[in-house]
Amino acid sequence: MDGTGASGGPARTGGGVLLDVGPLSGRPGIRASGEINVSTRLSWKNALTELSRQHTDVSYVELSAVRFVDVAGVAALAVTAMNLPVGRVVVERPPPQLPRVLDLFWPSLHRIEVAPR
Amino acid sequence: MSTATADEAFIHPALFYRSEAEYTDRTAAFVREGLAAGEPVAVAVPGPNLELVRAGLGTDARDVTFLDMTEAGRNPGRIIPGVLRAFADAHPRVRVRIVGEPVWAGRSAAEYPACAQHEALINAAFAGRRATILCPYDETRLAADVLADALVTHPTVITEGSERVSEGYDWPAVVARYNEPLGGAPDAVVLAFGPGELPEARRFAVGVAASLGLSGRRLQDAELAVAELTTNSVVHGGGSGTVAVWAEAGQVVCEVRDAGRLTDPLAGRRPPEHGQIGGRGLLLVHYVADLVRVHTTDEGTAVRFYLGV
Repeated sequence: MDGTGASGGPARTGGGVLLDVGPLSGRPGIRASGEINVSTRLSWKNALTELSRQHTDVSYVELSAVRFVDVAGVAALAVTAMNLPVGRVVVERPPPQLPRVLDLFWPSLHRIEVAPR
Repeated sequence: MSTATADEAFIHPALFYRSEAEYTDRTAAFVREGLAAGEPVAVAVPGPNLELVRAGLGTDARDVTFLDMTEAGRNPGRIIPGVLRAFADAHPRVRVRIVGEPVWAGRSAAEYPACAQHEALINAAFAGRRATILCPYDETRLAADVLADALVTHPTVITEGSERVSEGYDWPAVVARYNEPLGGAPDAVVLAFGPGELPEARRFAVGVAASLGLSGRRLQDAELAVAELTTNSVVHGGGSGTVAVWAEAGQVVCEVRDAGRLTDPLAGRRPPEHGQIGGRGLLLVHYVADLVRVHTTDEGTAVRFYLGV
């Protein structure tokens, strides 16, 4: 169902909603726009894998243009952060579902810091 | 007070009580028996009964975890993962002891089937686990069929201080009996969705729920829950379904129907592994909703959740 593979870029779902995800410029991490759901899951996971590969101390995940993220999308981010050997992930301006799901399932996950919208 | 042997892994008696004094005496004795054996003890009962147990325990209450079941267990479907397993899993190497009272006189007709199924599924969720869970039932205020169900969902029952084997114990029968068709909702607004239309289904449900008065975090929770249920329909339920939204007695109700069948009775009631990515959808719905009802057959599945406005 995913429109693209490991290279990132836009993934189209049947309803025309995209997930566009790629590296941040000037600092470590990724930025995304669109929707993180079952249709765009592979792009999201690939981007997170790339993030953990490049990670040294602090990585950023810029989500101000993400309209919605589902539970498995938050879970993929949480598991990525938990598996980092050092440092942390700063999630910038996520949609409201992200802090809600983190709070429900990973209430004391210190490797993720959320900078709200 | 308990006549069950302590080397039995899971012990799950119902306690039928007839007065506040009896409730206080028997729950306090049950708690003290656990404390004396070095067991971690939790009491999850409705608020006024919490006070009775606290009073009965006096200074022993300081060693006990107390939870108001009308909040922690408002939705009966989250009591196993959110209350019982949460407490047991926090003490993995020892036997735990819990007073859990999920059924009280104020439970609604919509809530009760979920309560009965919850009581039945405790037996599946704790099979082989070292735990003692005592479930008090108010004999003077609960209906006869509720008390009859308690005999089917508990292997033993304690009445007037003596424990006996419940001859009718057959918990799967209660899970099956309350797997009831969910009544129609004439005012429902309905949308059909297909595999590529999850965002549309979600936006539709959020729009209707907002127009019916849901707002703030509850509206966000509805959005998350609808997203998870519609995703389940697309992934496990035949690829498509319908979402319906309506108002009922001060609550907004959302229902997702599809052609799949839920075969795992504990779906949505197991605490997830920390590193697990999938499989949290139905659990999320149980955590955020005030009530979840499910009807599942070979013809399809309906999952309905309620959120107070």
